[in-house]
Amino acid sequence: MPSEKVIIELCGRVGKLLLAYGAETGRVEGTVEYIGAAAGVPISCHATMTALFVDVDTDTATHLVKVRTQDFDLRKVDAVNTLSRQFTAGQINFTALQSGIARIEAQHRDYPWPIKILGAGLVSVAPMLLFQATWADLALAFGVGIAGYLAAQLTARHTATPYIAVAAGGAVIGLLATALQLGGVGTSADNIIISALMPLVPGVAITNSLRELIAKHTISGLVRAVDAVMVAGAIGGGVVVGSALITLMMGGLR
Amino acid sequence: MTLLIHTLVSFASSVGFGIITNIPKRTLLPAGITGAVSWVVYVLIAGATPSVILPSLLAAVTIGLVANAFALIVKAPVNVMYIPSLVSLVPGAIIYMSMKDFTLGQETAAQQGLIKTLTIAISLAVGFLVAEAIVRPLRKRLMRALKRTK
Repeated sequence: MPSEKVIIELCGRVGKLLLAYGAETGRVEGTVEYIGAAAGVPISCHATMTALFVDVDTDTATHLVKVRTQDFDLRKVDAVNTLSRQFTAGQINFTALQSGIARIEAQHRDYPWPIKILGAGLVSVAPMLLFQATWADLALAFGVGIAGYLAAQLTARHTATPYIAVAAGGAVIGLLATALQLGGVGTSADNIIISALMPLVPGVAITNSLRELIAKHTISGLVRAVDAVMVAGAIGGGVVVGSALITLMMGGLR
Repeated sequence: MTLLIHTLVSFASSVGFGIITNIPKRTLLPAGITGAVSWVVYVLIAGATPSVILPSLLAAVTIGLVANAFALIVKAPVNVMYIPSLVSLVPGAIIYMSMKDFTLGQETAAQQGLIKTLTIAISLAVGFLVAEAIVRPLRKRLMRALKRTK
């Protein structure tokens, strides 16, 4: 059997993977503690959105792992989950679990870009606006949403500053939507913007925040809520700047 | 006809968000179906009542039940199904508008938006809670039944 230290270290990595890529706090703590129990070490795990503590109940030493949440990557969450399920069921041994986790950390499996772009476009046609916005506006939102999503993704690659990426996405969407309305192609810039923002907007985050609060993971819930408000603020600011810019420019052209 | 369009668009939305959040391929179809079913529930109930709370709550209950069933079938964490199927119901557009009102200095509208965001988010979260409460005892029984057949 591996030493306690090795088990704690691995548990920390498992927790970090789960937390960083979008699992809920309760799930993270549970999975880590199950793995510890299955490896023969009674472990306590405390997770917040920013850090993870792994502790052996029989010892005073605590392992602290810093976590920075990133964009959702639920494929990783699912892969870790599958591994831990196999391990706790006794289907794989500790060494296999170790190498499996290392593999998940290293590899990045994603859908190819054309499919991701199509996905962003599909999300950008919001069911909420069906029969409220015109069909033409919804079709435009498909394209505008893709542009906004790409802008946010590209910006995220080139900057480490938080919230800049979503603001850039918002600015591109505001700019394009207002330009389309001013150019007479779209009917309502507001509808295009709301629909096209769907891939960026932190609606899921705010709902997850409430779920955490109800589950009494108060700190995680608050962190998620504040983060969601910041993201929404960045998007809102971006949209306002983008549409103000294009209004100025196109107003000048006339 | 209207309902069919709603179903198709919400299905596409959930699958699309599933792709963006990189859920495994085997969960795309279940997530899409969950999203579509819950959206239809939302539309039907929203048509019958003026409140925003009841439609969101019951739609979330639907997600909770359907997603848990799929999670057992395709063996994936429920969260993988929850997140994409939530995308149409979630108050993302409202929180954006509220924040935009803030930047434009329209504070009353901003406050109203925030409260509406909270109302919807709480309804959804409570809906999930209700679904979990229904599913949990059922799941235990199901697991036991599965074990016995093995």
